[in-house]
Amino acid sequence: MLREKIEKHLLEIQKPSRYIGGEVGSVVKDKSKVDVRFAFCFPDTYDIGMSHLGMKILYSLTNERENYWCERCFAPSEDFENIMRENDIPLYALESLDPIKDFDFIGFTMQYELSYTNVLNMLDLAGIPIFARDRTEELTQIVVAGGPCVCNPEPLADFFDLFILGEGEEVNLELMDLYYEMKKQGASRKEFLRKACQIEGIYVPEFYKFHYKGDGTVERLEVTDDAPPTVRKRIIKDFDKVYYPDNFVVPFTEIVHDRVSVEVLRGCLRGCRFCQAGFIYRPLREKHAGTIVEQTKCLCENTGYDEVSLASLSTSDHSEIAPMLSELLIYTEDEKINLSLPSLRVDNCSEELLEKIKKMRKSGLTFAPEASTQRLRDVINKNVSEEEIMNTCRIAFGGGYSSVKLYFMMGLPTETDEDIIGIAELAQRIIDLFYTMENRPKGRGVQISISCATFVPKPFTPFQFEPQDTREMIEHKQKLLLDSVNKKRVKVSYHDANVSILEAVLAKGDRRLCDVVYTAWKKGCKFDSWGEYFHFDKWLEAFEECGIDPSFYANRRISYDEILPWGHLDYYVSHEFFVRENKNAHKAVTTPHCRLKCSGCGVNREIGGRCFD
Amino acid sequence: MIRLRAVFSKKDRAKYISHLDLNRCMLRTFRRSGLPIWYTEGFHSHPYFSFALALSLGYESDCEILDFNLNEDIPTNEVRDRLNAVMPYGMKIISVAEQKRKVTAITNAEYSFSLVSDNPDLLMNDIENLINQEQILIEKKTKKGVKTVDIKPDMKIISCKIAEKSVDMVMRLPAGTQTNYNPSLFFEALKNASDMSFETAKIRRTGIFCENNEIFS
Repeated sequence: MLREKIEKHLLEIQKPSRYIGGEVGSVVKDKSKVDVRFAFCFPDTYDIGMSHLGMKILYSLTNERENYWCERCFAPSEDFENIMRENDIPLYALESLDPIKDFDFIGFTMQYELSYTNVLNMLDLAGIPIFARDRTEELTQIVVAGGPCVCNPEPLADFFDLFILGEGEEVNLELMDLYYEMKKQGASRKEFLRKACQIEGIYVPEFYKFHYKGDGTVERLEVTDDAPPTVRKRIIKDFDKVYYPDNFVVPFTEIVHDRVSVEVLRGCLRGCRFCQAGFIYRPLREKHAGTIVEQTKCLCENTGYDEVSLASLSTSDHSEIAPMLSELLIYTEDEKINLSLPSLRVDNCSEELLEKIKKMRKSGLTFAPEASTQRLRDVINKNVSEEEIMNTCRIAFGGGYSSVKLYFMMGLPTETDEDIIGIAELAQRIIDLFYTMENRPKGRGVQISISCATFVPKPFTPFQFEPQDTREMIEHKQKLLLDSVNKKRVKVSYHDANVSILEAVLAKGDRRLCDVVYTAWKKGCKFDSWGEYFHFDKWLEAFEECGIDPSFYANRRISYDEILPWGHLDYYVSHEFFVRENKNAHKAVTTPHCRLKCSGCGVNREIGGRCFD
Repeated sequence: MIRLRAVFSKKDRAKYISHLDLNRCMLRTFRRSGLPIWYTEGFHSHPYFSFALALSLGYESDCEILDFNLNEDIPTNEVRDRLNAVMPYGMKIISVAEQKRKVTAITNAEYSFSLVSDNPDLLMNDIENLINQEQILIEKKTKKGVKTVDIKPDMKIISCKIAEKSVDMVMRLPAGTQTNYNPSLFFEALKNASDMSFETAKIRRTGIFCENNEIFS
């Protein structure tokens, strides 16, 4: 029995409750009555993966079907991985404690590029062939992936049987239904994949072959097996009515987001030009305030959580935000539930809204101007003015806050040293504002935290054509920022430049990168997003050995007419729109958000009408 | 405010819930039950939960004690049933009653465990030799540092039997606000005294007692 083997070692490792299941809300079925088994894998540790909302939705959705069983699986921490390898414990799912290699589907959610090596490590731990081409002809062990990173799945293409583009709430079940039917008929893996690729949203990479030019760019794409020439993502049309779980698995150990989350809207109407999520999740769709309140109550009652967070890309853009919060606060205050509201914008964070937030938050306020000068904010289409930033800070300081956290990016297209120094100057103006205010919090100094991420150009954004700054440029700018700020009042944090470089390469990479990912993993790379495990030297060796130049992917400007490695994937937003927006960026011309004026990105034409009323 | 005391078991997969996590787990269980939990009245209002004794990670128990307060007088059987309806797998409320004695009245706890060995007879010899010593000295880590304690005078063997692949023991050790000895001290002492290799298994707290062997309630 696998369970005995596992339990024998559980007390030797950190936080053993992560590896044995049994949590409240986990779904255990009688496997003799189950027809299709799905292992939902998150390529990071339990603490991180259990915080992921998409998994909670798809887990519950699949388990609503009596004869389908979805279980959870995470990457073990190093201590337990060593024990698993030493004792031949294959990677297993938490509900049944059965090895995932015996499952029908092994599904990964790809949330960030630096989790790619963990996928390989998990497949290896599971005893599943890493490369799709090495898997059995039989119809079993179908390795699939979804999530934002699969909008350019090419650096992962060799490891997966298929990718699921867009929202999984409908297509996952369609895929499982097809599998169940074909399994009964005794079909082979290949026969299944040929049928599966005809479902909208399903991309089977082996049916698409890339040919490259001498300069390394894509020459053409050859499509085989009657697969569709372009694959379009799936969209849930009626978001208010879409399935939402009435229960979550409640972990014993503390996880990163240890609370109920209720998704209030999907998509974003802003069109910030660097933001992939802002484009790949279009169109904007909202849940009604009543639905949100009802789902909050239901989840709090069923899980016992005393904290709830509203999840979205931009919560303050919800058209019914004020009445929704009023109603929610009546419930949460009565039940002693803590309500948190991430993702607010500076420009529409009204005094009334802030008054409500003050009741629920004790910590500081966090805002994301992203760039310091108006010119650069116009380039990236972050339609926020300095006046709005100052006004929000004024309200915050007047409301008793004395610390503000600001998110910026560096390395943005057209950025100069003045824009970097501008970050320090903006921070200083906020400090000065604090001391000119009569009603500022007494007895405390003001504290500004600046978190500065390095810009990573991403597919399906107007900046997909842009080169990333080189390491030298990034490091120069980081130093310049540190030298420019008032060190007494401003704390600066930024990322390791190498991390952002690798992200850029993997985000915009093509299929030739599969070998690099494999080689890096072979060299011991895993948990690349964890500072202590990130070994850029090994990655550089892997690039070298595979004959791949990372700067080709990270630092090269892509021309508008080039065939993109993700060009055959359709996320509803048109290529012409991205080109137009890229040109606007270079002219520092802004584009208003979708409610003010339709920018003609192409989504509404495809979904047949207007995005919203 | 109604003060109540629950006796609950913690077995199976639930034995991997750490003491730190148990408080949060109970809070969520109470919230799921819909029982009217009493909250403290300070600035940071929070529910009041108190566990009489901490239980080591990986140990099972038949007799954990949880003190809590409710706002309303609800029949204790109903409290028990409502909690059991929403308890995590492996945990069960055995009884709910008023708090008779103060937690400071606890003096000792009983544990059962198996010492798994290929040769239980030989291991039994070593155990007998060990427990017949004048003293059983062992280093105990405390908050203040490491000190050597003699566990012999306070250790009471209730039973010690040879099974097929193990020696199964039941023993009582001091517990409570003054002195707490974990059975791991005995395991450590046995490891030092015996050449036999053995593994510990099925460690379970089976009783919590006051003076004169009265069951704590």
